[in-house]
Amino acid sequence: MQEATFLILTALASGSQHGYGIIADVREISGGDVTLRPGTLYTALERLRTDGLVAVDREAIVDNRLRRYYRLTPAGSERLAAEATRLRANATTALMRLSPAPGGAT
Amino acid sequence: MSAGARRPGAYAPSARSETSRPGTDAILERRYRRLLACYPRFFRRESGDEILAVLMDCARPGQRWPSPGECADLLGSVVRMRLDPGRSSPPRAITRAARLMRVGAATEIAGLVIALATASSVQSALVRQHVTFLAGQWRDLLLFVEVGVPVPCFLWLWLAWASGRGHRWARSAFVGLFGMYTLIVLSKFAAGAATYAPADLVVVGIQWIIGLAVVLLLFSRSADTFYRHRSMPPAAARAR
Repeated sequence: MQEATFLILTALASGSQHGYGIIADVREISGGDVTLRPGTLYTALERLRTDGLVAVDREAIVDNRLRRYYRLTPAGSERLAAEATRLRANATTALMRLSPAPGGAT
Repeated sequence: MSAGARRPGAYAPSARSETSRPGTDAILERRYRRLLACYPRFFRRESGDEILAVLMDCARPGQRWPSPGECADLLGSVVRMRLDPGRSSPPRAITRAARLMRVGAATEIAGLVIALATASSVQSALVRQHVTFLAGQWRDLLLFVEVGVPVPCFLWLWLAWASGRGHRWARSAFVGLFGMYTLIVLSKFAAGAATYAPADLVVVGIQWIIGLAVVLLLFSRSADTFYRHRSMPPAAARAR
């Protein structure tokens, strides 16, 4: 799973959000490292919708502009959980190997 | 580990403030729309306004032109989408259904040719069966067949066009018309058409089978998934 996809799913994990909200949330989640652009975001959302991981929750018109809210589907939640578990396992392994072994060479 | 943009502050989503003038917004919006026009029509209709709203939300106050980064992002997204049309265009089941509908339109023409070619035998059979059948009635019936053919022909082609573009209403309309057509076929059988116009009934039967195949394709799993993703959110969700 690409980082952008992972971050979009993470942004939606706490509730439905519209496109602008996802961009802002991804920026916050990544500590300002990743800022999605609209083209990238909507290409990813299109793919996630087609794969059944994300669905449209509702629509609203704000200032005469369409605002569509997206939410995670159950399949999306499962996929995100699996990916998060995989990343955590990888990170744990990396940290374990970096930490000095007791009695090992310095 | 790549995403849209990585330079902090390079593209910060900043609510377009009240310092933006309406004229500037309109100019910028028009220029964004020109870029969005590069997307496949299907995707543009589905998400174009929404992307535009986000672009306008993210634009800097007083911005008049899409930035080079925005242009690169949108055009890159266009290329990715066009290289993978399966993501945004109807599945094969729907395109097959649309193709079958065009065949259905052709059978209407074939039906007219057969109706005209067998007209005299059908007329004499009708007169034999119904002694009160008048020449005037026959002329009216023939005129109805000739004039009536363009209507179903148009409906086949129209719904083929709409289905090919992924319109969900076309599926509902087709199912409704197919139901009506089924009733008409049954009524023809009940009226004994098999005895006086067998050739015409063969065409009708072929059309019915084509219609049934179209319905099955439009309700196949891939078509159903496609329509579900394309559909508007449920009424309950809207009311939230």
